[in-house]
Amino acid sequence: MSDQRRISSEDLALFAMQLLSKEETAEVSAYLEQSEEARRELAEIQGDLAIYAHTVDLHSPPAQARERLMKQLAREKKAVPIDRPVEAERRASEAPVRSGSIFTESGARVPGYLTEEIAPKRGAASKVLPWIGWAVAAGLAVTTGNLYHQREVLRNAVTTQTSRLDHLTADAAAARQVLDTITDSSAMRVTLTPAGQTAPVPQGRATYVASKGTLIFLASNLGPLQPAKTYELWLIPAAEGAEPIPAGTFRPDEHGNASVIMPPLPKGVEAKAFGVTVEDEGGGATKPTLPIILVGE
Amino acid sequence: MYRETGLVNSPPPSAQDDAALLALVQKGDEYAMASLFDRYSKVVYSVALRVLRDPASAEDVLQEVFMQIWRNPNGFVATRGSLGGWLAVVARNRSIDALRRKRPSEQVDEMALASNFNLADEAERNSLMEKARGVIYLLPIEQRKTLEMAFFDGLTHSEIAEMTGDPLGTVKTRIRSALTTLRKAFTA
Repeated sequence: MSDQRRISSEDLALFAMQLLSKEETAEVSAYLEQSEEARRELAEIQGDLAIYAHTVDLHSPPAQARERLMKQLAREKKAVPIDRPVEAERRASEAPVRSGSIFTESGARVPGYLTEEIAPKRGAASKVLPWIGWAVAAGLAVTTGNLYHQREVLRNAVTTQTSRLDHLTADAAAARQVLDTITDSSAMRVTLTPAGQTAPVPQGRATYVASKGTLIFLASNLGPLQPAKTYELWLIPAAEGAEPIPAGTFRPDEHGNASVIMPPLPKGVEAKAFGVTVEDEGGGATKPTLPIILVGE
Repeated sequence: MYRETGLVNSPPPSAQDDAALLALVQKGDEYAMASLFDRYSKVVYSVALRVLRDPASAEDVLQEVFMQIWRNPNGFVATRGSLGGWLAVVARNRSIDALRRKRPSEQVDEMALASNFNLADEAERNSLMEKARGVIYLLPIEQRKTLEMAFFDGLTHSEIAEMTGDPLGTVKTRIRSALTTLRKAFTA
């Protein structure tokens, strides 16, 4: 630097970081105005600081920051100037005015080329038509804005519904898998008993939700049936004097396993017990036929 | 990338240089602005976060810096150096202004910056970062700490001298020496 006594490189570094006092800043600014070398040195220091700034640990800005910027940009849309016939205006304004200057109502002089011709008389239509154009443009702008807004709303709704549908599909698939496992005739079913005891005896497990009328019944170790016979599950209501309700017929597989899944039952019937009987196949019994093979309360 | 903002008919992300993007921004091209944001928002946000230590305030500075480009793309001209470097320094200065709760400094807009790095290129940017970190890491601890206090914490040389008990001249020299070492490492 040519004037090391007054403004040093150290001062320029502090100036670049805006760490000088107001008076010192003014002094350095004045010095920079007259010293190209100092300006060059300052630019170098700013370059050094730019590199130093890049040593910072990187963090991604929040996801909504970009959205926020784009919205702000949309709010501050730029009006791009249309190229104007500047040269033509200039030439015209320099041309001799043969018919005198014409002034607008506000007193401003219109470009010279208009003054060479007698201004045509403007009728009511010619005054209104430009405004109609602007009105149409404004209307279109509003309509476009509304359409854009509607599109955004619809898109958000579709996204939400798609997400919900994905969840439901996943839930349905999981439920289907549970049912398939329960009802799969090839599934291995094992009843565990205390070690050393005899072979498992016939048994059933009913899971019932009275308020929904939903029932799942799983049976195991059932004995084979005679021809034209079927097992039937009965719901014995808790209400005094109520008749047993048939809850589905079933036949065990070769391993003695069977299930009744979601038989049609009325909702809200509290159960006192469940029982299994042997009925005629396709008979449609309205009352259990004794004896009751399995019963549980 | 553009679909996230609902912008349609957008040009594909490309290796357009900063000058071309700025020219498009000048014409009101929001996609060009989005490209610049995608390219430099991380550095700008990180610098602001380092200075302000508050994510919300750092995001405000991020918005302010990019809106400054949108409103006045001529505030930066290519002859002033790399846009990435300029943005990093502007982010730092705006953050310091926010820290001091003062009006943005006009000096920022007039800043010229000597830089030969193409920070628009992500690979080159990452390479520069790694190298700069390495150089800073190898600085004497006093220099490193003093530069950090001045640049990222916005402490004046007087404040640093008071805090560290070092003479004013020593503080100034340490800042200058650290920057000189950094420059030499990149010009070697």
